[in-house]
Amino acid sequence: QQRIEIHKLRDGDNLILGFSIGGGIDQDPSQNPFSEDKTDKGIYVTRVSKGGPAEVAGLRMGDKIMQVNGWDMTMVTHDQARKKLTKKNEDVVRLLVTRKSLENAVRQSMMQH
Amino acid sequence: MMPIDRLADMEEKLRILEDLNMIYIRQIALSLKDSDIQKKIDYEIRMREGACKLLAACSQRDQALEASKSLLTCNARIMAYMSELQRMKEAQVMQRVARRSFDAGPMDDRSPCKGKVAISDLRIPLMWKDTEYFKNKGELHRCAVFCLLQLGGEIFDTDMVMVDRTLTDICFDNTIVFNEASPGFELRVELYSCCSEEDYSAGSTPRKLASKLSSSLGRSAGKKMRAALEPGACSTTSNGGGATILLPVPSVPGPKYHLLAHTTLNLSHVQDSFRTHDLTITGNEECSYWLPLYGGVCCRLAAQPHCMTQQMMSGCLRVKLGGEPQGWTNVYGVLKGTNLFCYHQKEDMEANVEPVLTIGINKETRIRAAEKDPHSKAQNICITNQYGGEEVTHTLAADSREDTQRWMEAFWQQFYDMSQWRQCCDDLMKIELPSPRKPAIVTPKQGSLYHEMVIDTSDDIGTVTDILAHRIEEFELRAQLGSPPHWMALFDEDPPRSPHTHQHLPPHSPSPRLHSRQPRSPRCHRTPGLLSSNASLTSDSDSPASISPCFRQAWSPDASSSSGRFRPRTLSLDAKLSTLRGRGYSGFRCNCQPPTASSVSPRPAQTALSCSSSTSSSTSSEGSNSQESDLGFSRPSSARRSLRNLRAKLDPRNWLQSQV
Repeated sequence: QQRIEIHKLRDGDNLILGFSIGGGIDQDPSQNPFSEDKTDKGIYVTRVSKGGPAEVAGLRMGDKIMQVNGWDMTMVTHDQARKKLTKKNEDVVRLLVTRKSLENAVRQSMMQH
Repeated sequence: MMPIDRLADMEEKLRILEDLNMIYIRQIALSLKDSDIQKKIDYEIRMREGACKLLAACSQRDQALEASKSLLTCNARIMAYMSELQRMKEAQVMQRVARRSFDAGPMDDRSPCKGKVAISDLRIPLMWKDTEYFKNKGELHRCAVFCLLQLGGEIFDTDMVMVDRTLTDICFDNTIVFNEASPGFELRVELYSCCSEEDYSAGSTPRKLASKLSSSLGRSAGKKMRAALEPGACSTTSNGGGATILLPVPSVPGPKYHLLAHTTLNLSHVQDSFRTHDLTITGNEECSYWLPLYGGVCCRLAAQPHCMTQQMMSGCLRVKLGGEPQGWTNVYGVLKGTNLFCYHQKEDMEANVEPVLTIGINKETRIRAAEKDPHSKAQNICITNQYGGEEVTHTLAADSREDTQRWMEAFWQQFYDMSQWRQCCDDLMKIELPSPRKPAIVTPKQGSLYHEMVIDTSDDIGTVTDILAHRIEEFELRAQLGSPPHWMALFDEDPPRSPHTHQHLPPHSPSPRLHSRQPRSPRCHRTPGLLSSNASLTSDSDSPASISPCFRQAWSPDASSSSGRFRPRTLSLDAKLSTLRGRGYSGFRCNCQPPTASSVSPRPAQTALSCSSSTSSSTSSEGSNSQESDLGFSRPSSARRSLRNLRAKLDPRNWLQSQV
């Protein structure tokens, strides 16, 4: 698991992070191309804008977002997730993400036991 | 219109009548000393009560339709059992009478063997015309339909199918097998239909109540029952009213099915392929439940008489082979279907070794007992067949007179059976057994009540789900890998404390597998009190649903030491989780015994810490490790699911992506 701190970029009136999310408990998880478990309804990073704040901070496409500023992201609707990321009064979002490679590493070490 | 208190009064009377009914029914069953039927009746009555309650409680249309269908089927079965009881009672009485008068005539008659009858691939063509049948042109007129099939004392219902203008045929995929049918069977097929747009109010209830009360119980009930239960009248009527004398249905508001069409099939319709039969259509265009039927039903009706599938006779025989008068060979003969198989020895038959000789036994065969052979004690049996243009005779002998007699009897019985079952004995018809599925009485999805609860997103839930998330992370991985406990060390600072935790588990937490759960892991700030009280968690989390039970297990050791962060809103959390998932789940069960079945599944079994708000699921209780919420439903029809999946796939909206 990784902690990623993204500083939002001001673009006129908007604060943007520079990535896109997919998923949510109200979404169809089988369409998630990034999840290993096709029933996983978590929030995944589907796109990272080149050179944007997210990429700079180390976020990668396919990351699963577990928390945003302490808010759980594993059991939220798509819209709730989006809202948590786009709070107007927040300049910085701290994400807790898992990355597939990390998961695999964990899994492998487990298998060895 | 009746004043409301009189309505209640009548309902009360109806209930009393119903109780009297049940007593009467049970009396008959008891007097016949047939606990088998009694058990069946009791079961159906319970199912019926369940269906009524469900019908009253649910609000979703397809649930109500399913419940109504169950109700109708239960009623039909109860009626059938009742009539069977009546017949048995009569037979008993007749026997006593017969014994007294030494009238032994009919007793000696040969009776044909029974058989299996299967009906499958029912298809009822429809004939839609443009505007004729719709009250509101443009609106899609939809009906829910299903078939009720009755043969002898067995009644089965097919799945329910929604029919509208887009369908050209009503198809039922079910294969229904009746096991003990006699050749003179009558298979009654009834098509029930219910309009899917109706308002489900019991508007005409008072009238129905009145009519039911007028046919009161008493000495006359017996006579009425007999009259009502004649074969023709055995068909069930709509569950709302009509001539159901003995079972006044509690007037439950809800969808009511009506008989749309029916037909009766018998042996002459049996064929090893599809055939079309005429349907008698009841109802007309004015009825809400009307569907434009073409007038026929296409299906496959097959029969397997036992004489074709079972060994009717077997034993040691001697066969004369070759021309020599003394050339007897010992064989083990088995009479089955249209053949007499002669094996070298009995073990060969069991080992599926080819028989040394196969003699055809069919309609053309002639069997006679020959003149007494001077060399043996018993008569020979000569079996003559026509093979091609030639007559071939086999001579067999049994070991004793009694054996010879028994073989002859078996042959006669076989001939008789074949004459009774006619075309079914030409060749063995294939019957595909339906794959094991849940019993026909289907309890609709539980959990709709959750759908109706309005949940506001409160911050409390956010924090709780936050905590859940921590657990989910851990358990998600663990559950996926089948939980070797050691790797906990990867995440937690404290070393696992395996042996101890096990003891702390309260009696009704199962799954010793999780004993490595350590109750204190600093990383995961837990609120034991929170989850242990009213732990009405449903396993609705996304990741393998094994999560919540793990929760409960984990928390239970600390239940006593509840911290101050106890949050009283667990009920709403429960409901929120259900609604979030978007599907009902049949609650949780209170396993008050060490679960035995749970050890089988790789996932921990489900437990409940308290049984407070459990929705009682009448589908399987213990041991059903229905972690996949699909199993929690009684039977989401696979058609519905696949349709949902298809819609989901086609709808691009279903996996939204948002830019942030």
